[in-house]
Order: sequence, then structure tokens, then C-alpha cells
Amino acid sequence: MCHRLRFVPLSLTLIAHAALCTGAAAESQAPITPYWWSANSGRVFQGRSSYRDATGTLTVIHVGGDVDTRGQPFFTALGRNGRACVTCHQPADGMSISVATIQARWRATAGKDPLFAAVDGSNCPSLPQAEASSHSLLLQRGLFRIARPWPPRAPDGAAVTPQFRIEVLHDPSGCNLDPTYGLRSTHPMVSVFRRPRPVGNLKYVTNYGYIFEPKNGLPLPIDPRTGLRYSGNLMADQRDRTLEEQARDALATHLQRPEPLSAVQMQQIIDFESRIYVAQSNDHVGGSLSDGGAEGGPDALAAAKPAVLNGPGQPQWGEFAAWDRTGNTESSSEAERAFRASVARGVKLFRDRTFLITDSAGLNSMNFGNPTRDSCKFCHNMTRTGMDVAPGQVDLGTTNEPFADPAADLPLFKLTCDPRYPPQPFLGRVVYTHDPGFALTTGKCADIGKITIQDMRGLAARPPYFSNGSARTLRDIIDYYDRRYDIGLSEQDKQDLTNLLSVL
Amino acid sequence: MSVRLMRLLGIIALAGVASATLAGAPALTFVSCPVYRDTNNGRKSGCWLATDESSGIRYDITQGRTKPQLGHEVLVEGRAEVKNTILKGSPCGGIPLAPVVVSVLSSLCPSFMLPAEGYPGRRFVLDPKLVLQPAEVPEALPPPPYAPRTWSIEFTFQSDFLQYQYSEVILDEVGRYIRASHPREVAVVGYAVTRPRIISEHVLAETPELARDRAEMVALALRRLGATESMVHVSWHENPAPLPDPQGLPEVSRRRVDIRLAY
Repeated sequence: MCHRLRFVPLSLTLIAHAALCTGAAAESQAPITPYWWSANSGRVFQGRSSYRDATGTLTVIHVGGDVDTRGQPFFTALGRNGRACVTCHQPADGMSISVATIQARWRATAGKDPLFAAVDGSNCPSLPQAEASSHSLLLQRGLFRIARPWPPRAPDGAAVTPQFRIEVLHDPSGCNLDPTYGLRSTHPMVSVFRRPRPVGNLKYVTNYGYIFEPKNGLPLPIDPRTGLRYSGNLMADQRDRTLEEQARDALATHLQRPEPLSAVQMQQIIDFESRIYVAQSNDHVGGSLSDGGAEGGPDALAAAKPAVLNGPGQPQWGEFAAWDRTGNTESSSEAERAFRASVARGVKLFRDRTFLITDSAGLNSMNFGNPTRDSCKFCHNMTRTGMDVAPGQVDLGTTNEPFADPAADLPLFKLTCDPRYPPQPFLGRVVYTHDPGFALTTGKCADIGKITIQDMRGLAARPPYFSNGSARTLRDIIDYYDRRYDIGLSEQDKQDLTNLLSVL
Repeated sequence: MSVRLMRLLGIIALAGVASATLAGAPALTFVSCPVYRDTNNGRKSGCWLATDESSGIRYDITQGRTKPQLGHEVLVEGRAEVKNTILKGSPCGGIPLAPVVVSVLSSLCPSFMLPAEGYPGRRFVLDPKLVLQPAEVPEALPPPPYAPRTWSIEFTFQSDFLQYQYSEVILDEVGRYIRASHPREVAVVGYAVTRPRIISEHVLAETPELARDRAEMVALALRRLGATESMVHVSWHENPAPLPDPQGLPEVSRRRVDIRLAY
């Protein structure tokens, strides 16, 4: 089988093809696939590397050129479980990690890879770790266990008095009911299961466009250490506010390193992360994503200003606007022209196709009203990445009943809001959710189910999607939104939007 | 009934009160169950309608800063925009109120949504005065001399929410003034209207603690904009007098926070 070639760096394609396509025997003799980055590998991280994915090619660049990873803390097993940051942030997977890669690692290592560390690479550390069923959420959905303290703690560690009571209605993972790791343990925790966010394009995540947060009307808070404001766009639940806080948190939890990192090592991690840009660069059908006047690929991302609000002078996904015109006439084949035209239509749909946005906390709960008519770019309003220029905590319904897709394998919580506080604005005082999201940081009913909007670049390399992996394909994302907001997309519309997502 | 006929009847009904209102429309206050009319004239172009049951007149309350939430009653406080309605017709199928302040109440009511029925709605246009500069633009601080000044921020009923595209414009100006002039004191005074009013058979009164909540919300904002702890003095009171603003809505102005800079 040669399917692993999807992930091989193109520069190594010919060599790897010869090595991997010699039959099943060769595959079994080479359990470590060339695309996989293990901790402490000592390899050189190339300044530019490209990887095949489901729809074309993903390119990752490091501004500043090649990196000798020997001793570089991002690539070093710093904790007690053998993981490095790169373990869950693989270049071939858009600096996140796909389910296909996770499954391949399971097969290649019989589940022994540090990726499957009991702490969060299994459904619960108390389960028998040798069994695949104990890692089902990682293997099937690409989800890692995120254990949040209960009652909640603010990012600065301050105790938060929650406005709601939380009960576990059912939990196939077992962890929320576990005597050691559950809600009633000595150190009560709420275990939710989430996809790892990509480590790339981070200037778009950490910068802010405006100093006010429209969702609460307040100026963004200021980091006393730097004097800069927090962007509010880091992490699904904003539990960390800076790259340093995130790294410290990840080291303590995912890598199981209780000791603090040296200031030098911390800065090395942040410097490396901040220089990584990730985007799709080529499409199987559409060809180069920077041809015909288009500006796809990571170089344009690295060069552009972050946190720019889309508008007349900076239209959303203007990178592909030229494919509506000259790009289409210069294409080399009818199939390429048709694909590029489809992407251009997808851009227009994304910007201009309005629909009624309803019952979405963080959007309709502002003074826009419920419903409000707008398009995809209403929330995905930051140019280049489709994030929210403001802190992007929004409840799109992906984790909450009644809108979430059925997910019998995820825990289901019942949250009951204290009558002294405002309820979740659209779900009421009793909310059933697989993941309370931002409310696990703020303790507020109004924040139940809000998940931070994330970077939309390099999507094709890192399925599944949404914080709980409920969309297995790009098309599933479109189908979810079409159902959720009753948009009425035609089959052609859906294909055009899917093609747009595939080239980001 | 044709759309044209409905529009004509609306204008005729309006004309009945026009003689009394052209010179300066009286303030209207009522509680209603809002109706969304799904006009599609681009983004944010939907219409919100509310009927005053005391008169049976349906008003267009779309021009309020805060839009309704379907399924929740609203407190409407506004003035009929008579002149423009007669000249331009009704884009939503109700007599436009402007100015108008809409407060979303916690009380529930049925959700009603209407199709456009030929009404165009309003194309969304953002007032440039309500748009702040991006963070990357170097800020222009106000030049001296600096004299004592007062700003007021108004709130919707029973809310301490700092309304988008309104509050931040005021707060941004105050923040720049503070950073430029380093006042001796930033006095933040919050108010709530706790004395009950009976409106459309609803008894409406704000809670006393809201005055403090509003003041502390504004004080937090000012601290994040450069006011030091030693500058900021927070106080709160109930049932203030309206602001002296004949063009505005006096009752609305009682739900406010005053910010006074002293040197």
C-alpha cells in the first residue's frame, strides 16, 4: 500500500516512494513513517516543507529558514510521558494532528507511541491502556481529554464561583464519574474532549484588531507582564491568554512536566511557534493556489498584517478573487478552470449569501438581535484566517443540544443555572451539553457552549473538524451550517463552499 | 391587502397624528411582543416591528441600537419619525421610531416572524462616527488645556451591558482624555430607576443593585483604558433626574452612568 505517501514531504517523495511501495513487508519493517515527527528525533525542520493531503498539498514555512531541532524544546520530550509539542502538532497535519495519522500511529506502534499517553491520549487514565477501546475518542474523533478544574479557575488561577451546577448524565469515557479523575474526586475535574488547535499562523491568533470586545462592551484586558492586551482568541475556551500561558499549561498537562521551563526554553518555544505559517498551496484539480492572480499558500499569510477586519478594501478571501476573472482564462485545463471558478463562487457565497443567524450566544446575544440576517463573514471576519477580529467565543451549537450532531460516545452534562444569574440566552436555565466550552473558564451561564472560532487555514490536512471532531470532512462542515441555520444551500453551493475550504 | 394599500393606510393613520407630532413628536413608551420581518436588503437588513396596544399602531423599531430577541417582550421608548415617513414611506411596514431605545425584557411572549411582503427593509449603513480606529492606528490624544468634563453612558432597561457601537465610542474618548490629562479624580456615578412605572400594564422597576453594577462596569472599562486605581471613585444612586436633552429621550437618560473628570 502506498497511501502513506499522502503525507510524505514532496522533496522526499521519489525516495520515499521507492522505499514504501515495495510491498507489505517493507511497510511492516518501517513502522516510523517518514512524515511522522517523534520527540527527540534530531531532524532538521525545513524552512519550507510540503505534504500531500486529501485535496492537494499543504505547505508549512518557518520564517527564518531551517531549524536544527536538537535541543529545541518544541521537539524535545520535556516531561514524563515521552511527548514533545510536535507529537500532537505535526507539520504534515497542518501543525495539528489528523485522525488518519493517529490511527496510523496506533497501528505502527501497537498503541505504544507517547501520543497515546494515558493522561489525555486515552478516554481516562484509569482505563486499561493497552486496549484500543480505551483510546476510542482519540482514534475515532481525534480528541484529547482536557481536564478542567471544578469549580472553574480563571486563567490567572483565581477561583471562580460558577453560576451553574453541573451533573454528568452519561459518560462513555467513564472519566467524569471516575473516583480519581471525576467530578466527585478529591480534585474535582470536568473532562471534555477536544481537537488540538494548529500551531501556526499565530500572529493572527495573538493580535487584536480593536481594543474593545464587542461581546461584552469592555476594553480587552491588559497583560501586566507585557502591557499588551490579550487577544482573547487563544484556546477553545480561552483558558490561556498568551502563548507563554498556553505552553506552560501544555507542558504541565499534555507533557506531564510539573517543573517550570527555563525562560530561555520558553522563549525558544514561543519564537519557533511564532514563525510558523501553514496553508494549502496546491490543489489536485485546481493547481497552484498562487497562480492566476491568487494568493493562496503560507507566504502571503506570513507577509500580511494580522487582525484586519474584512471590508470594502479588504474583502474576505480576496486571495482567490482573481479566479473569478483572469485566473480562469489562464488555466491550463477545463477541470482546473472549473475548479477555480467553483472556488470563486464559494468566496462570493461566503461573503454575500445571507441567512438568518439564530439562537447563537455570543452573536445574537449582542445588540444585533435574534435573529439577525448576515453571512459567513459576520463571524469569520478576519481576513486571511477567517477568525473573529474580536475574541471569538460563540455558541454555534456544535456541542449543545438541540443543535449538536448525535454523539453517544461523548459525555453529556446537565448544567442548571442559578436563578440569581442570567441564563444561557437561548438555551435557558437547563442546558444539555457535551462541552460547556468558555463557561468552564468564566463560570457564567451566558458562556455555556461558546467555543472560540479558530484559524481556517490548512484545513484539508487536519480532519476532523469542530472542537469535538463532529465534522469528519470539509463537506460535513458545510452540511452542519446548512442544517443549523437553514441556509438552503444547493448542491452546487455546497460544493463551491467545500472547494473554498479545501484551498485555504 | 396589497402592499401599496397597506402603506397608504399606514400613512393615513400616521397623518391623523401628524399635526400633533411634526413640530416635535411626543415620546412613546410601551411594552410589546416584537415581530421580525425578514426583509432581505443585504446584511443586517431585517425589520423589527412592535405594536402599541394602547393605540393599535404598529411601529418600526429597527433603528434602535439594541435589536429585540424573538420570544421576549420589549420595552420601546421612542419618537415617531413622522417627516421622513411621509416623504419616503415605510420600509418595514410600520411607523418608524427614531430616536428609539429598545430594551429586551426577561418576560416571554410568542415568536412571530413575517416574510418581507414587498417591504424593502433598510440597507445597513454604519455611522462613521460609531466606528473606532483599528488598534494599529496611532491614537490622537486631545490637546490641552484640560477642563473638568462629564460624559454620560446610557443603558437599556435592567441591563449593565455596554452597548456595541455606542458605549465604546464614549469610553474611547474618555480614555484618551484620561491618558492625555491625568486627572486628579475620575468619578464614576451609576444610576438605576427603581421607582416603579406602569407601562402597558407591566410594572417596570430596575433593581437597586443595578446602579452599582453599571458604575462598576464602567469603572472596569476605564481602568483598562488607563485610569489608575487611585483616580477612580465609584458611587451609585437611584432615581436620578433626566439629562437636560430636549432632543433625546428623558426617561432613557435616567438609566445611565456619569463620568466626571476633575483636576
